[in-house]
Amino acid sequence: MDGWTGQFLRVNLTSRTFRIETFSEEFAHTWIGGRGFAVKILYDELAPGIDPLGPDNKLVVAVGPISGIPAPNTGKTIVAAKSPATGGYGDGNLGTRVTDQLRKAGYDALIVEGRADRPTLLSIHDDRVEFLPADEVWGKGTMETNDWIYARYGKGVGVLNIGQAGENMVRFAVVRSLEGRSGGRPGMGAVMGSKLLKAIVVKGSKPIPQAFPVAMKELGRDDLRTVHAMDKEAAWSIQGTTGVLPWCNEVAALPVHNFRGTHHPDAWKVDGERVHAARVATYGCPNCTMRCGIGIPDDEGREAEVDYENIGLLGPNLDLFDLPQVAALNYLCDDYGLDTISAGGVLGFYADAIERGAVSGDLRFGDAAGFKKVLGMIARREGQIGNLLAEGTLRAARAFGHGSEDYAMQVKGLEISAYNCKFIPGMALAFGVSPIGAHHKESWIITFEVKQTTRGSYGRDKAQKIVDLQRIRGGLFESIVTCRFPWVELGWGVEHYPTYFNTITGSDWKLEDFWPISDRIYALMKLFWLREYPQTDRSADFPPAAWFDPANADTEGPIAGMHLDREQYDGMLQHYYDIRGYDTRGVPTRATLESLGLGVEAVAAEAYVTLR
Amino acid sequence: MKVTVRLIGGFVYTLGFRERELELPPGTTVAQLLDAIAIDRTRPVIVGRNGWAIDLVEELCEGDRILVSPVFSGG
Repeated sequence: MDGWTGQFLRVNLTSRTFRIETFSEEFAHTWIGGRGFAVKILYDELAPGIDPLGPDNKLVVAVGPISGIPAPNTGKTIVAAKSPATGGYGDGNLGTRVTDQLRKAGYDALIVEGRADRPTLLSIHDDRVEFLPADEVWGKGTMETNDWIYARYGKGVGVLNIGQAGENMVRFAVVRSLEGRSGGRPGMGAVMGSKLLKAIVVKGSKPIPQAFPVAMKELGRDDLRTVHAMDKEAAWSIQGTTGVLPWCNEVAALPVHNFRGTHHPDAWKVDGERVHAARVATYGCPNCTMRCGIGIPDDEGREAEVDYENIGLLGPNLDLFDLPQVAALNYLCDDYGLDTISAGGVLGFYADAIERGAVSGDLRFGDAAGFKKVLGMIARREGQIGNLLAEGTLRAARAFGHGSEDYAMQVKGLEISAYNCKFIPGMALAFGVSPIGAHHKESWIITFEVKQTTRGSYGRDKAQKIVDLQRIRGGLFESIVTCRFPWVELGWGVEHYPTYFNTITGSDWKLEDFWPISDRIYALMKLFWLREYPQTDRSADFPPAAWFDPANADTEGPIAGMHLDREQYDGMLQHYYDIRGYDTRGVPTRATLESLGLGVEAVAAEAYVTLR
Repeated sequence: MKVTVRLIGGFVYTLGFRERELELPPGTTVAQLLDAIAIDRTRPVIVGRNGWAIDLVEELCEGDRILVSPVFSGG
């Protein structure tokens, strides 16, 4: 089967056994790979209601047909499981050498089941699978763990590992790889920890099956050069994603003081120019043409790799505008294996809750040392407050009470990325309908809103744009599995990706052939959610109340006095449901599911939700 | 009339400045401003005025703060 290895590796940590399974070409063409494979496997194999931190959950590590092929930015891998943060389907992608090594080992996905009886390193070398003790690094951070693995296997292997946060099952613990790559915001690191799985090491020696390997090699080589040259010409990677910060500040979209503010006069102190000036190293994912990982010294002289999201949430969102201090929080998150976005959201929420008297405590906005201390408490689940904050903002807010849930900046249990949508309706909806919680990777519509429509509109055009972007970003890119940056940041046309796909698989697909598959993936993620939460309604697709609150509106600046309108948001949400073929509850109709080839799933869904 | 131009991201390096006050004749449009500062318009550009969207055909006003940015897809 050109383009796919045709094999999954299924590993059971409880019985310390493994088996190699095959899948059909029809399965490959129906789900493509990556997120498509992961959601199908997890939906089919997980019983509803299982504890995401129990042995019945499964971790899926999946790649796609163009993953690892020498072509622009193809070094990504998907990690997925039932999410400890949301309770629904959860996933994330990260740059890692696992991408090509897993394929060279002969697998398009690794499925990890059960729970080990001791800290374990799972070693995969082609058909050889070993369950090795990892007691030596249990309790250690991701940096030391990564070094420990490199010392034993060399740097050419693919590595996924977790830090103390994953071990202690912090619900927003991530999976880490390379020097600074993280993935799996909705708690994928906690799922590894719950299985006592400290690390996965992958080494492969087989060729990746391709229909036209010579043509792909030439095409990939040329395109790698071209995109790299485009990056040089546009000067994008000089600041990388940190260039977004001043833009957010200017258009009043920056999270400041737990999202209460949208801009700040000191934001320039932590922007892309300052980051570039402080640069001591640059990092990228495998096959990257536009390396965006910028290493800068933190306030203790350690090298921290920063990007926009972690600066936004660990900086302005905490009223911190000292770059080395922000870098230090980022370093700690990376070493503990905490998601930087959620960590910044949780810390900001906690400081806000104290400020508003919902809970007592001495942490204050702007207190870098205090935030460092609390981060450690979270990673170790230390004390009552560390243990509670490790549960994330939603659960913490429910414990704090006093109306704090209104300013717990999350959707479905996942903290909001660094875009303050106090008056950006379309992006607020993009967060609201993201199937994995408030992640920006699904649909980033802010630039569309600012550029082509009036900012305050709630029209069907925005809902349609969200669907269009979900199809490309959350569907196409997450199933063929590649980085989205060349497409938007450099204008590398999305039509290149079907070309890669066809050259590798021998298919003759057009771009529009991927859209039904993207829609199928989104519908199945929705069914996963509905199976876990059958009583859910459209309120689950709403952002936090703070964005609708007139009392929370800016008092000065571009959007002074403005806030989201709940009724109009609800209307835009209905447009989204209409376009997707969902009913007024946000449930896919029977006809929609059948048209997407999910007839069997539709019948099964009737056991927990009435389809219209 | 005077307007302030604020560049974002790679434009800072390709054009060699971050922020600049410009003296322009009345009636100058956004497109004319972009040409005047030699922005590469073959790539998508976002232009904002005082934090709000603005089309290329719109005329600038005295005291405007114009934000010129490449397109992003998130961090």
